Amino acid sequence: MPFLDHGSYRIRYELEGPAGAPTYVLVNGLTQYAELWAAYRDALVARHFRVATFDLLGQGGSDKPALFINQDDQVTALRLLIDELGDGPVFLSGISFGGLIALRYAIAHGKRLSGLVPMSCFAELSPQLLLIGNALRTGLILGGTGYLQDLLLPMNLSDQWLTPLLDKLDSVKRQGWLVNDVYALQNLMESFLDFQPLTPQLSSISVPTMILNGEFDFLTPRPLHETLRVEIPDSALVIIPKAYHAFTLERGALTADLLARFAENVLAGHWQGNKAVWIAPEDPGGELTPFPAGYDHLRAIPVQRVSA
Amino acid sequence: MSGFFGPLDSEGRVPPNQQTRVAAFLISAHGALARQFAFTLPLKLDTAWQTELNAQFYREAEIVSLLMRATAWVPDLALGYMVVSWETAWLPAPIEGIADRSLAGAIHLATLAHAVHAGIRPAALLPVNAKADDPFVMALRRIEFESGRLLQGQILFLKGPELMPLRDAVSAALEKRHAGVRKLWREALESVGITFTNDAER
Repeated sequence: MPFLDHGSYRIRYELEGPAGAPTYVLVNGLTQYAELWAAYRDALVARHFRVATFDLLGQGGSDKPALFINQDDQVTALRLLIDELGDGPVFLSGISFGGLIALRYAIAHGKRLSGLVPMSCFAELSPQLLLIGNALRTGLILGGTGYLQDLLLPMNLSDQWLTPLLDKLDSVKRQGWLVNDVYALQNLMESFLDFQPLTPQLSSISVPTMILNGEFDFLTPRPLHETLRVEIPDSALVIIPKAYHAFTLERGALTADLLARFAENVLAGHWQGNKAVWIAPEDPGGELTPFPAGYDHLRAIPVQRVSA
Repeated sequence: MSGFFGPLDSEGRVPPNQQTRVAAFLISAHGALARQFAFTLPLKLDTAWQTELNAQFYREAEIVSLLMRATAWVPDLALGYMVVSWETAWLPAPIEGIADRSLAGAIHLATLAHAVHAGIRPAALLPVNAKADDPFVMALRRIEFESGRLLQGQILFLKGPELMPLRDAVSAALEKRHAGVRKLWREALESVGITFTNDAER
C-alpha cells in the first residue's frame, strides 16, 4: 500500500490501470474511504483509464492530524498525488466534501487538469447547508460516528437502496465506523469554521467541467450546483434522475459511465459545456437529454423559466 | 487499520487473557486520568469550566469501576512490568515552547486525555460476532462512546482562544502524546495476539 508524505503526515493512495493512460483521480466524501471507489476502479480501468484513489488527511488509512486539518493541506495532498501521475491527461472528480477539495485544486492548479467533475458539490455554505452541517457536527459529538451515519444514510440514499438493507444497516455502517475516528471527522467538519465561499474564484476554472447533481439531493440541492454551472465557463450541469446526495454509492455503474464518457468526449475534442443543463439516462450507456427548453431546472415542478 | 479480539469462545466471549491485558491497560490509562483530574479539581468550584473537571473525574472513575467488575480476570505475570511502563508514560513531561509551568501542566493533562479518548477505540476491537450482552463487550462499547463525549472537553480547551498563540507547540505536544499512547496500546494488543492488518473488514 503506497503512501505520500506531506510534512510529518502520510497519505494512503492506490493507483490502478495502465501507466500511460489518462487518469481519473477520485476524491472521497467526508465520511468515506478509498475502497468505496472499487467499482469505479474496475469500470474505468476497463474503459482504459488509470484510476487514483486516496484517503484524505483524517480519513481511513491516511494519517489523522490530532487537532486541526486545514483544507489547504487537503489540496496539497491532492497535488502531491497528481504530481505522482506523470504528464498524461488528468481528470479530477470528487463527491461532496471531496468535490469541494477538487474545486479548490482546480482553482489553484487548474492547468494540470484535462477535466473536472464535481459531484453533489458546493462552493459556498447556504444557510441551510451551514445549519445542517452544524447539526451533523453536534450529532457526531453527542452520538459518535454511528449516529452521524444514522443521520446521513436516510438523508443521502433512496428508499430503493435502503429497503433491502434495513435489517442489516449495522453491517453497512461497520466499515465506515471502523476506519473513521470521531476526532478526525470532527476536525474535517471544523475545517469549515473559517470557510470562505469559493464562488468569486470559480470563473478562473477554465477546464471542461461536468457538474453532477442528484435529482433529489437534499443536502446539497440544485441551487448550490447552479452556482457552479453559472460561474464555471466551460461547464454543464447533469441531473441524475431519482438520485440523492450519495448517488456515487447507489448509482455507481451509471456514474462511472458518465465519468468515462465525459473524459472520452474531452479527449476527442467533442466536449462543449455551454453551461447547458442535461438529464442523465436511467442506465449506463443511455442518452443524455437536454433539460426541456423553457422550464426552470431549479424547480421540482414544471414551472416555465422566467426570462431575465 | 484495525485488529480484533479472538478467537472468541463458542458463545462469542473475548478470551480472558485478552480481556485481562486490555482491561489492565485501560484501567491504567483512565485511572491515571482520574487521579490527575482529582488533583486538579478544587473542593469549591470557582469558575464554570471547572464543572467539566468534575465531570471528567467522575467519568474516568466510572470507567475504572466498570472495567474492574466487567472483566473476566485471569492471572497475568507480564502485567507487572507492563503496568510500570504504562504508569511511567502517563507522567507529565516538559512541553517544548511552553515555559509557564501551570499552563504546561494543563496542556499535559489535556493532551494525555485527548490521546486516550481519541486514540484508543476498544469497541473497534470487537468482531461482529462478539456476544452483544456480555458485560465486557458492553463495557468496551460504553467506554468508547463516553470517550467521544469526554474528548470534547479536551478539544474545546486545546483549540480554544487561550492556546491559539501556542497552536504549533500544542499541536506538536498532542501529536507526540498520540504517538506515544498509540504505541503502548498497540504493543499491549500485540502482546496478546491481536495483530493489526491493513484490511479492517471482518
